[in-house]
Amino acid sequence: MKAKSIKVDYLARVEGEGGLYIKVKDRQVVGFKLRIFEPPRFFEAFLRGRSFREAPDITARICGICPVAYQMSAVHAMENAFDVKVDGPLRALRRLLYCGEWIESHALHIYMLHAPDFLGYADAIQMARDHGDVVQQGLSLKKAGNELVALVGGREIHPINVRVGGFYKVPGKRELAPMAEKLKRARDVALETVRWTAKLRFPEFERDYLFVAMRHPDEYPFNEGHLVSNHGLDIAARDYEKHFAEEHVEHSHALHSVLRGAGPYFVGPMARYSLNFDRLSPLAQEAARQAGLGPVCRNPFQSIIVRSVETLYACDEALRIIDEYEMPESPAVEVQPRAGSGFGWSEAPRGTLYHRYRLDDQGVILDAKIVPPTSQNQKVIEQDLREFVPERLDLPADKLRWQCEQAIRNYDPCISCSTHFLKLEIDRE
Amino acid sequence: MAKKQKPKLAVWKFASCDGCQLSLLDCEDQLLPLTERIDIANFPEASRAVVKGPYDLSLVEGSISTPHDAERIHQVRRASKFLVTIGACATAGGIQALRNFIDVKDFISIVYATPAYIDTLKKSTPIAEHIRVDFELRGCPINKEQLVEVVSAFLQGRKPNVRPHSVCMECKRRGAVCVMVAHGTPCLGPVTHAGCGALCPAYHRGCYGCFGPMETPNTREMSAAWERLGVKQKDLVQIYRSFNAYAEPFYSESRIHESKIHQG
Amino acid sequence: MNFPLNRAMMAPRGSVTETALKVGTLRMLEGASLDRLFGALSKRGYRLLGPAVREGAIVFDEINSAADLPAGWTDEQEGGTYRLKKRSDDALFGYAVGPHSWKKFLHPPAERLWQADRKGKTFEVTEEKPDTQKTAFIGVRSCDLHAIAIQDKVFLNGYYVDPLYKARREHAFIVAVNCGQAGGTCFCVSMGAGPKAAAGFDLALTEVCEPERHYFVVEAGTDLGAEILAELPGREVEGREKAAAEDTVASAAQQMGRYMDTTNIKELLYQNYAHPRWDTVAARCLTCANCTMVCPTCFCTTVEDVTDLQGEHAERWQKWDSCFTKDFSYIHGGSIRATSKARYRQWMTHKLATWFDQFGTSGCVGCGRCITWCPVAIDITEEVRAIRQAPQSPKSSPVGDKYGNS
Repeated sequence: MKAKSIKVDYLARVEGEGGLYIKVKDRQVVGFKLRIFEPPRFFEAFLRGRSFREAPDITARICGICPVAYQMSAVHAMENAFDVKVDGPLRALRRLLYCGEWIESHALHIYMLHAPDFLGYADAIQMARDHGDVVQQGLSLKKAGNELVALVGGREIHPINVRVGGFYKVPGKRELAPMAEKLKRARDVALETVRWTAKLRFPEFERDYLFVAMRHPDEYPFNEGHLVSNHGLDIAARDYEKHFAEEHVEHSHALHSVLRGAGPYFVGPMARYSLNFDRLSPLAQEAARQAGLGPVCRNPFQSIIVRSVETLYACDEALRIIDEYEMPESPAVEVQPRAGSGFGWSEAPRGTLYHRYRLDDQGVILDAKIVPPTSQNQKVIEQDLREFVPERLDLPADKLRWQCEQAIRNYDPCISCSTHFLKLEIDRE
Repeated sequence: MAKKQKPKLAVWKFASCDGCQLSLLDCEDQLLPLTERIDIANFPEASRAVVKGPYDLSLVEGSISTPHDAERIHQVRRASKFLVTIGACATAGGIQALRNFIDVKDFISIVYATPAYIDTLKKSTPIAEHIRVDFELRGCPINKEQLVEVVSAFLQGRKPNVRPHSVCMECKRRGAVCVMVAHGTPCLGPVTHAGCGALCPAYHRGCYGCFGPMETPNTREMSAAWERLGVKQKDLVQIYRSFNAYAEPFYSESRIHESKIHQG
Repeated sequence: MNFPLNRAMMAPRGSVTETALKVGTLRMLEGASLDRLFGALSKRGYRLLGPAVREGAIVFDEINSAADLPAGWTDEQEGGTYRLKKRSDDALFGYAVGPHSWKKFLHPPAERLWQADRKGKTFEVTEEKPDTQKTAFIGVRSCDLHAIAIQDKVFLNGYYVDPLYKARREHAFIVAVNCGQAGGTCFCVSMGAGPKAAAGFDLALTEVCEPERHYFVVEAGTDLGAEILAELPGREVEGREKAAAEDTVASAAQQMGRYMDTTNIKELLYQNYAHPRWDTVAARCLTCANCTMVCPTCFCTTVEDVTDLQGEHAERWQKWDSCFTKDFSYIHGGSIRATSKARYRQWMTHKLATWFDQFGTSGCVGCGRCITWCPVAIDITEEVRAIRQAPQSPKSSPVGDKYGNS
């Protein structure tokens, strides 16, 4: 059989710039390039010499879709370095802020980036012509998430209220009350979203993934916990780099991560869900069951249902936090810098986001390392496509191309994130 | 009345975090009404469908930092009737313009052991350094209400209400208490372009300049006031050198304090 | 200087009722009875606005009772700094003016003037309805009374009356407070604007804090004020109490942190458009506009027309503007006050000189806000002093035009 190629010049409905090139010969994928041509921005380089206080604001700018995740991982790493414990209502507020980002980011992906694939539309706006109510519903859910981020963080994108040690200003209990009403409505929409996504048609496609996600003794993971896998991994943040390695490949501006001795692994909602189903709220668990999901999900196309379940959980959890919230006396705990290294991670909407900093005794950053979820998932995406494509070679070219795109969008890849730390070659100017 | 052809909107991305173009999708209440008035013809982050140019309105996010992008921006200009740059990357080179302050070769040899396969330029530059720009909307990120205002103004053929004065005017209008005068917190508000609604002071935090310099910024006196509050030269370098580091006069002001450090 | 309040401009407040008290009457009110005053106002439908501690400053906000007032707080003010401090007593009004002025209520920072909706080929304009909510301003200082009187001249005098301002002004009940202490940047005495409230109030309080007693000497300024005062559990003021109240105000007058010599000030500034001092101050000025925002008499606004995405609805908004922006003096071809020198000179000369020509009074009441809230501590009294110390003679001054545009 003659060689055939599938080419997507510019991946749409992903955050950032990427392309896909697959070459097939004798019904086998012989060439594969998930090309990422998002220009490198060198965050880890210019973090050197900056104050620890600036890390949450600077790293937020890596990604406009999940800035809270960067701020959270950054403050945790700094607090780890300075042996600062942020607890009680301040910790709860961080979790609340994170709920907002999950709701916003998941609603964006479910309704505006992923759902159009299932229904055969180029985008949510075209989808709205036939499914206006559905898109409106998605936008209302997204808006609730954004409003929560803006309430706690000051604004939706690159919030200004997060600092090492806590916040600049904390809301009073009364200020949160109107948000609770909105979140109750959002929770209803999220529940409806789980039901709606469960009815979509999913390609038969399951793989035995190596799932990696954080896990906490009592909570569904956002800010705190060990990193675990379904194959027995259980490590603290400071051991991350002992277990994981990054490889650089020529066709991409992003590094690829592997778990040493095990290879490619899967992070993000499906991994989180499959490793933490027992930590979801009863409402979210029940909704997942009704949607036909078991406690483990292995079909990446069904990640849209998993995201919906997580969105429902985030609404539920946000309401619980608001209900129990008491305004803390001080918006932040005192932070005294000291020399050393700090390790932090948190669960970004797209998966585990790892930060590591080395600091001097004034809290000046000497060295920084950031591993975002999308760079961890790239190898799994590639494996998915290597398996997915050969079985579907008889599809018309357009349709196959579209399904390949959809298979990539299963991961909600954030290309802006994944390329911030590229190695580069100097060129002329 | 015959239905007029809807104007075509394109959204372009260069080196950036995607946040400014996300602002368009964050206009949850206005998004569908907007599509009744304007044809979203080219917006890869939102749609896989691409309608051919030329485009009546182009929103450009991101800075120019690769040889490929330096070429591509000219194609975008040729395909656009009215071109608006959105955000600090597009209007000032963004945080990635921090590379503009160092000799990139030294920087690479310090930071990276193995050079890789990527083309990059020595500098990250604003779009207006490469092509003619019809309007610049500031902010890191832009304010979504201002984005809606710019698009509405474009649709109605009027000038957008986007004022280049200080953040202080927004701060006082919202009745916030000046953090610099009342708390002794250093604040860049007096030299920073309005647009955020004086967010940081309202959260008891000094402005850190994410909308870049205002129309007539007196950074010299601003720095003197910060020094009176005990801010050191090295921190003055950093405060001007963030998301709008390459915008004059933040650029020059950070250079001044850098040279003061070297003078000892 | 005198700032007569033109009460004739204001619509009469209903019929004059028979009250036991007359305008000008002084009564003694125990400190604990202040809430009775607030109750009497609330009962009449007044929304109470007064001083409250927020974000490390005493601002004006909605209050419900005397418990919301900044009891035991005072402020320390200097050029570019403001700090709250605890007092040794529990005075409710023991501080000078803060960052807010009453113009935020009477002449709000942003207000819609009208809206328009498309109706077929034409459009329909709906004007903004005047706000008829009754408001009581609690704790208005003499400088601010003068400032309100000045804004009354701007908005209510002449052919063009601002109906929105007028409605708010007519529905305002003013409880003045005579200052018992002056702030570090106060100079109302220089401007003839305080510290004792002379006119323009419905009631004026003088707070007296003695080791064993806390009381107010209350003066009725209008019939309505007298009517309300008659309902309160006060009594006739004793000579000792009256003297204590007078001493309080007199000591405030002695404490002025700033002084401005206003002798022939209009002529002085008119003759010194080209004074080198303008360059000195311009080098320091941030053109941030804080001085104009906090000034209780600055009234300039811009209008912004906004439209919705569909082009079906439009609104016109009025917003506080400032002569420190470039757009403010933009005319075809550019801004006519392109330099910060031209802008600072415009502002100060308007306040202290051209205001007389325009409105017959000074535009400055000596409240000191522009000094305190300037991030780089530019001091209007200092600027006048510098020019006065080395004035330029009119002949030697290479002045451009009357408005100082050289």
